Amino acid sequence: MTTLKIKQGWEAQLSLLFDLSGAKTILRNKQHKGPLLVQRPFYPEGDNTCHVYIIHPPGGVVGGDILNIDIKTGSGTHALITTPAAGKFYRSSGAFARQDQVIKISSNAILEWLPQETIIYNGAKSKISTRVELDEGAHFLGWEITCLGLPISSQKFTDGVLRQHFEVWQQGKPVLVERGCFEGQSQAVISRWGLANYTVVGTLVCTCDNPAVVENIRLALMEQVKEDLFSVTVINGLVVCRYLGHEAYRARFFFAKTWGMLRNKVFSRPACHPRIWNT
Amino acid sequence: MLRLLQICSPSLPIGAYAYSQGMEWTTHAGWLKNEAETCDWILGLMRHSLGGLDVPILARLYRGWKENDIGRVKYWTEFLHASRESAELQAEDNHMGVAMAKVLGELGISQANDWKTEPVVTFATMFALAAVHWEIPIYETCVGYLWSWTENQIAAAIKLVPLGQTAGQRILSQAIKTIPEVVESGLSLQDEHIGFLAPAFAIASALHETQHTRLFRS
Repeated sequence: MTTLKIKQGWEAQLSLLFDLSGAKTILRNKQHKGPLLVQRPFYPEGDNTCHVYIIHPPGGVVGGDILNIDIKTGSGTHALITTPAAGKFYRSSGAFARQDQVIKISSNAILEWLPQETIIYNGAKSKISTRVELDEGAHFLGWEITCLGLPISSQKFTDGVLRQHFEVWQQGKPVLVERGCFEGQSQAVISRWGLANYTVVGTLVCTCDNPAVVENIRLALMEQVKEDLFSVTVINGLVVCRYLGHEAYRARFFFAKTWGMLRNKVFSRPACHPRIWNT
Repeated sequence: MLRLLQICSPSLPIGAYAYSQGMEWTTHAGWLKNEAETCDWILGLMRHSLGGLDVPILARLYRGWKENDIGRVKYWTEFLHASRESAELQAEDNHMGVAMAKVLGELGISQANDWKTEPVVTFATMFALAAVHWEIPIYETCVGYLWSWTENQIAAAIKLVPLGQTAGQRILSQAIKTIPEVVESGLSLQDEHIGFLAPAFAIASALHETQHTRLFRS
C-alpha cells in the first residue's frame, strides 16, 4: 500500500469500475492511493449482484484530509456498496476535511449506495460532497445519514461546520440538488425550519416515481414515527425520503425498511442486508 | 417602480396566496404557535433559503435574459427546480412560473410565450424576464422578489397561526430591516455555494402533501 502523507493531512483516492463478465457483475478495475480500499467483492445473493465494502483503515478523518471516491458502473451491472463502520470526522484546529464522491451509472445498471452513518464530531470542519451522474435508464438507490455530535456522551455539535452536498444529475441536467450548511449553534442547526436541534439527519433517494410504491412506503412507515420526523416525496422522478431524529439506528431503521420496499418493487428482489451491518 | 409593484403582487396576477409552503402543516403540528415562532420561521427561511438559493439564481437568470443567453436561463431554471425540496414546492413554483409567463406574454413580452409550455419553468425565471424587460435594476428586482414572498407568507400566517394584523405588520417591519442584507449576501455568492437545505422545512412541505384538510395548495 502506498500512502501519501501530504502537508496538511492524508490524501486518499479510490476508483472502482464495475462491469459485466457474462451476466455477472465484476469489479473490473480498482485503483487506490492512500488509505482507502475495498475488500474482495462477494455475491451473498447467490446470483450476479456484486457486493463491495469500502474501507477507510484510519477509521476517521481529521482536518486537512482529503478522500476521493470515484465509482463507475458499466451498462447492465448491479452493484451494492456499503461500509463496515460509521465514518468519522474529528475536531479540526483549522483546515477542512473533505470527502468527495462521484458515482457514474450507465444505462440499465443498478447501483445501491448504502454507507453507514457519518459522525461529525464537535469542532470538526467538513465538506462532504456526493454527486451521482445517471445515464438514461440508470437506476440508483442511495442514502446519507449524518450525525452531528455525539448526544449520548453529551458531546453536542456546538462548534464546527459541515457543508454537505448531495446531488443527482442526469445527462448534464440537475435532477436533485441538496446543499446543506450546518454550523454549530447557527440558525440552520437550532431553528424549527432547520435541524430543529435534531442531531441525526438523513436523505434517501431512489430512481422511482411509482405513486403506489410511494404510498406503500408512507403507509408502512408513518405509524413508526415517534419523537422523530420522516417524510416521503417525489422530485423529478426520484423518491426522496428524509429523516430527522436523535438516533442513527432509527434513521437506519426507516431507510432500511424503505430500501427493502423499493428493492422489491423497483429491482424485483428482496432486501439482502449486508452482514457487516450486524457487527 | 410601478412595474416592480405590478409583478410583486401576491394576489394578482399569479395567485401566490393559494400557497403556504408547508406552513399549513407546521401550524397543524404546533410548530408555530405565536408571533415570535412565526417571525423566526419566515425570516429564517427568507434569510437562509431564499438568500442562499433564490436570490443568487434570480441574479443569474437576470443576467441570462439581459445577455439573451437562453442556455444560461435554462440551466439555472433547472437548477432551481431541482433544488425545490418537495413535489408540492416544485409544482407550486412551476404553476406560478407558467401563470406569470401567460401574463407577461399578454403584456407584450414575447419571450415569455415560449415558456408557457416548457416542462420546467420557475417563478424566478419569469420574474427575472419581466425585470430585465422593464429595466428594473437587479438589486430592486431581488428586493421585490423577497418582499413578495415575505408578504405572502405573513398573509398565510395571519390565517393559519392565527395572528392579528398588527402582529403581521411587526413581522413585516422586521423583514424590511433584513431584506437589504439578504440581497447583498445572496448577490455575492459564488456558484459552488448556491443552494440551501432546511431539513425540517423540507419535511413539513412533504408531509403537507398528504395532510387531510387543506386550505392551501402547498
